[in-house]
Amino acid sequence: MNWTILPILLPLLTALLALFWGKPSRARRVVVACSAGVQLVLALALVTRAYHGETFLLNLGNWTAPFGIVVVIDLLAAVMIALCTFVALVAVLFGYVELSSRIEHPLRLPLTQLLVTGINLAFCTGDLFNLFVAFEIMLIASYALLTLEADDWDVKQAFPYLAINLMGSTLFLCAAGLAYTLFGTLNFADIALRSAEMADDPRVLALGLLLMVVFGIKAGVFPLYYWLPNSYPTLPIPLAAIYSGMLTKVGVYVLLRVFGTVLPHSLDLVHQLLAWLAGATMIFGVLGAISRNFIRGILSYHILSQIGFMVLAIGLFTPLSFAACIFYIIHHIIVKSSLFLIGGVGACLNRTDNLDRMGNLWRHAPWLGVLFLCQALSLAGLPPLSGFWGKYAIIVVGLEKGAYVLVGACIVASILTLFSMLKIWNSAFWNSDEEREVCLWDLRWVRMSWVVAIMVVVSLGIGLGAELIFRVAQEAATRALDQEGYARIVLGYVGKGATPAP
Amino acid sequence: MQIESALLIGVLFGCATYLILQNSFVKILFGFVVLTNAANLLVLTMSGNPGGKYAPIVGDAAGPLVDPLPQALILTAIVIGFGVTAYLVLLLYRIFLDQNTTNAAELYEDQDTSEHT
Repeated sequence: MNWTILPILLPLLTALLALFWGKPSRARRVVVACSAGVQLVLALALVTRAYHGETFLLNLGNWTAPFGIVVVIDLLAAVMIALCTFVALVAVLFGYVELSSRIEHPLRLPLTQLLVTGINLAFCTGDLFNLFVAFEIMLIASYALLTLEADDWDVKQAFPYLAINLMGSTLFLCAAGLAYTLFGTLNFADIALRSAEMADDPRVLALGLLLMVVFGIKAGVFPLYYWLPNSYPTLPIPLAAIYSGMLTKVGVYVLLRVFGTVLPHSLDLVHQLLAWLAGATMIFGVLGAISRNFIRGILSYHILSQIGFMVLAIGLFTPLSFAACIFYIIHHIIVKSSLFLIGGVGACLNRTDNLDRMGNLWRHAPWLGVLFLCQALSLAGLPPLSGFWGKYAIIVVGLEKGAYVLVGACIVASILTLFSMLKIWNSAFWNSDEEREVCLWDLRWVRMSWVVAIMVVVSLGIGLGAELIFRVAQEAATRALDQEGYARIVLGYVGKGATPAP
Repeated sequence: MQIESALLIGVLFGCATYLILQNSFVKILFGFVVLTNAANLLVLTMSGNPGGKYAPIVGDAAGPLVDPLPQALILTAIVIGFGVTAYLVLLLYRIFLDQNTTNAAELYEDQDTSEHT
């Protein structure tokens, strides 16, 4: 048995099992939670083994790449899978304590697991067309979850999300077709080898630009982000945590993979364009966050502004900036998901997450305030929390490269992030207006806070153990940028005409 | 053949974009249907001119053959496109039932998203 398939197979089987189980019950919940736990343990095992130099490879049907479909898990993919399974596990647990199994929607758990399947497939696929399929699995599950428990207003917001992603998928299909004509293959490793010889071909540049637009839509990069901040707040809280943590980061991961591993490294125009769009994303995202007056809306816009940092790191295109990007992804996924969950606990206590009607949380639930403060300051980038190290590395690379305007944009965005976090803090936690009732009798909030605390502890661990995490990120970046090494592992040889290794 | 199919795909993409930018739900829906088909056609054309290409396994009638891989890709893409279109139809129908309009401009006319909770 080849273990490489398990990160895709386990959530898929769990989804099917939960689907045919039908009625939500306590037993079904336990089974899904156990499966999510096993997935996390497996993913962590993959990370440890990948860190020690192993790359997991599975040729489906024993057809060797580039002829057959190939599943590759290198260190970068393993780290992403671990993050995805962790967020999914915490969100599932949060969903359990938030709603009793009697009123849970029967399709929520199966669809969540299907979403995880799609995300994991996107991380470990080794060719462009399967990436398209993975995106579609992920998007179809996300469309369904978005409208599953929706009211009139939510459904209205789901339409732009569907429309822009449908457009993105179509462009992706066109890009796959273009890549096939250009290189005669869709396998990542094979494209990497063949495109190295035709780096100056303008058609490769066109392909790069097209892929940038496609993955820019998925990641929410500057002019293409309008679908995100209005659709995410309509989701139930645990689902919003998975969406905010993982979906846009799949776009960032694919940008890393495609520009780092697959396409030639000399596409300077695309990298420059990415960096400038990232700068614009940061600023516009954070300005949007300031304009919003409810927690989920503020946090949704912050996803965009943080995406700007990651994409900027990709655009700067040095090994260090790639490592910074990977570190930033690790930090951001956990911080952002936990902030959504904390917002959910606050909304459960105040019965709303509109800042005009929230208040008194610090007096009645100080520990929730501590959790929020840790994560909010980490998002803004205060040392020694995890956000600081990611931003520090990106700014160092930016200064080395002389991109002073973009570094300035980073700093402005960070300060404005702090400002909007303080807005939440002042209204929800410090406001002591007696009329703003805190429903402490609703005891769900205690258990919900404990679930969030798991995430906050992990996040603090990333900040305090930044050296270890950064070393993993550096290793992952080095291997993701090593096109020949990747090709040697996947194809078994480098260059045309060489005899394949046995 | 290449030029003709390129022109056809261009026209289809143009029509699809025009239809998607309309206000009526039905036109938007047809826009997306045309769009997915245009993309499928593009991938089909990408298999290129069969002249001078031969299958690795030769039978009796061993003439030049079209590259079959793009056709396999399109088959997958058609299925996916069909599923998403079916979902889009239901979503638009649900919006019509909720809001009693099939006009997108009317639907998003007075939208203030800054304070919705």
